[in-house]
Amino acid sequence: MRNRKRKGWHRIINGVTISTFFVVIFVAAPLYWLIATSFKTPANLGDSPPQYFPHPISTQNYHDAFVTNDFGIYFRNSLIVTLIATALVLVLGTMAGYALGRLPMRGKFTLMVTLLIISVFPEIAVIAPLYLLLRNIGWLNSYQALIIPYTAFNLPFAVWILRNYMLGIPKEMEETGRIDGAGPIRTVWSIIVPMALPGVFTAGIFCFTACWTEFLMALTFNISNNFRTIPVGIAEFGTVFTVPYGTIFAASTVAVVPIGILVFIFRKFVISGLTSGAVKG
Amino acid sequence: MTTISSAADQAPVAEPLVGRPDVNRKRLARLGWAFTAPALIFVGAVTIFPIIYSVVLSLSNVTVSGSGFSLNGFTTSNYRVVLTNATWHYALFFTIIYTFVTVLVELVLGTMIALVLERLAGGRGWMMALLLLPWSMITVINAELWGYIYQGTYGVAEAIFTALGLPVPAAGFLGTQYPAIISLMVADIWKTTPFVAIIVLAGLVMLPGDVYEAAEVDGSSGWSTFWRITVPLLRPTLALAVLFRVLQAFGLFDLPYVLTNGGPGTSTTSLAILGYNAMFKDLHFGTGAAVATTTALLVLLGCLVSLRTFKVQVGKEGD
Repeated sequence: MRNRKRKGWHRIINGVTISTFFVVIFVAAPLYWLIATSFKTPANLGDSPPQYFPHPISTQNYHDAFVTNDFGIYFRNSLIVTLIATALVLVLGTMAGYALGRLPMRGKFTLMVTLLIISVFPEIAVIAPLYLLLRNIGWLNSYQALIIPYTAFNLPFAVWILRNYMLGIPKEMEETGRIDGAGPIRTVWSIIVPMALPGVFTAGIFCFTACWTEFLMALTFNISNNFRTIPVGIAEFGTVFTVPYGTIFAASTVAVVPIGILVFIFRKFVISGLTSGAVKG
Repeated sequence: MTTISSAADQAPVAEPLVGRPDVNRKRLARLGWAFTAPALIFVGAVTIFPIIYSVVLSLSNVTVSGSGFSLNGFTTSNYRVVLTNATWHYALFFTIIYTFVTVLVELVLGTMIALVLERLAGGRGWMMALLLLPWSMITVINAELWGYIYQGTYGVAEAIFTALGLPVPAAGFLGTQYPAIISLMVADIWKTTPFVAIIVLAGLVMLPGDVYEAAEVDGSSGWSTFWRITVPLLRPTLALAVLFRVLQAFGLFDLPYVLTNGGPGTSTTSLAILGYNAMFKDLHFGTGAAVATTTALLVLLGCLVSLRTFKVQVGKEGD
C-alpha cells in the first residue's frame, strides 16, 4: 500500500528498479567472476588486463580439481560429515524441542538460556581441549572428529527453532494420538513431526550450511588428505608458491552449486529461520 | 536477560491428557527429560566440558612434549603474558575496529537494500534467493575469490581502479596495513550485507501499513517517516541482526586466515587467529587457551550488554 501507482515508462524504469539493478550487480558480480574464472584456460587466468569473458571456454580447471587433485575426496568427506551431523541434529533436536516446547518439565528456562549462550560461543574457545581429547582417543583424522562437534554446536540453535515451532501446534493434537493408544515416540513421529515440518526444514538447512562451510575445526582436527573437507581442501590448494586459482575456482563452483540449489529450494524456510528471532550467520 | 524468563514462563505448556493430572504430569516430565537427555549429553560433552577445560588450561603451566602434554600446577602467568603482550593488544584493537566498521556498514547498506527491495513490484522472491547465495558461500571460497580479485599483477580490482582513474596502493591491495584491512572488510561486507538486508526486509514487510497511512495524512515526509516510524518499529529486528553479527565478527578467523594469513606482519591478526597460532603453530597451549578464554568472556560480556541496551526480547521474538 506504500507503493505509488506508476504510469508509462516509469513503471519499468524508476528509482527502485535502477537501485535494484545496482544491488544485483553488487551481489552477482563477484559470483560471476568466480564461475567465469573457473572456465578460463590456466594460461588465460593470469591475463592482464583480465579476460572479462572466458575465451576459449575450458574445463581444464575441473579436470585439475578432480583428477590431478583430490577434490572428489574432499567433496565426499564434506557430504558424509554434513549429512550425518544434520540428521543427528534433526533427530535429537526434534526430541528435545518437543520436550522443551510441550512437556511439563522443571528448569526449562535455565536450559533454554544455557543453550542460547552456548550457541553464541566462539569456536576458538573449545578448539584446544577438543583437539587434545581427540588426539588422546586417536580420533584425529576421522569422520567422527567432525560429526560429533558439528552436531553439538548446531544442536542449540536447532532446539530453539524447533521448540518455537512446537509451541505453535495446537495441544489437542497429541490427544488424538493418545486416544489411538500410540506410544510417546510414535505420537511425536506421526503427529507432531509432520506439523513441525517447516521448523525441521529451517533447522536442517541452517545446520547443513553451517557444517558445509565450517573451517576452523576441520582445519585443526582433519588435516590428512583422506579426511579433509571442502573448505580445508580449497585452503590447502593455495599453500604452494603460486596459488592455483583455476583449480580453486573450479572446486569452489562445484562446492557452491549444491548449497545454492538447496538454499534456493528452501529459501522460504531460511528466511523464516532468519526472522524467527534466532538469527545466526 | 529477565525478558527471556517472562517469555519462557508464559510459554503454553501442553496439558496432561488422560488420567490423574498429578501422576500424568510426573510421567510426562520424565518423558521430557528422556527426550532432552541425548541432546544435552551431546552439547554438554562437546561444549561445556571443553569450555571448562579451556579455563583450566589457561590457568595451568602446560608443557608439550613429543609424546603428549602435561599440566604442572596452577599459574596466572598465561594471562599475564597475554594481557601485557603488544600483539594481543593490537589483535584486540583490530578485532573491535573490524567488528564495529563491518557491522555498521553492513547495517546501513543492508537497510538501504531492504528499503529498495520492499518497494519492488515483482521478483522479490528471486532477489531473496540471490541475496542468500553469498550467505551460504563457504568463507574460505570467499577469501580465495577476493584474493584473486586483489591479486597484484592480474587482479581485476587493479584493472577497475586504473580504468576509473583511482590510485592503486603502491604495495598492492593486501601489501600494507590499511589497504589490507579495508580490503578484508570489503570482502566481509560483500558476503554479509545481503544477509542483513534479508533480515531487515523481513522485518519491514511485517510492519503495520496503517501507521504509514496515518503518517502520510499528517504530512510526514519520507525522511522523517523513516527516522520516526520505520527505525523505531524495526529496532528489535535491527538489534538482533546487530547482536549476532557482532558475536560472529568477534570470532573472525576464516577470512583473514586464508586471504591475508593475518598479515602483512600482524596487521590483520584477529583474536581467534592469534589464539590459533599460539596453540597450533607455537604449541603454547596455556597462552593460547588464555587468549581463547578472554575472547569468549568478551563475547559473553558483549552479548549481555547488547541485550540490555537494545532490550531485545529473545524469547518473545521467537514465538
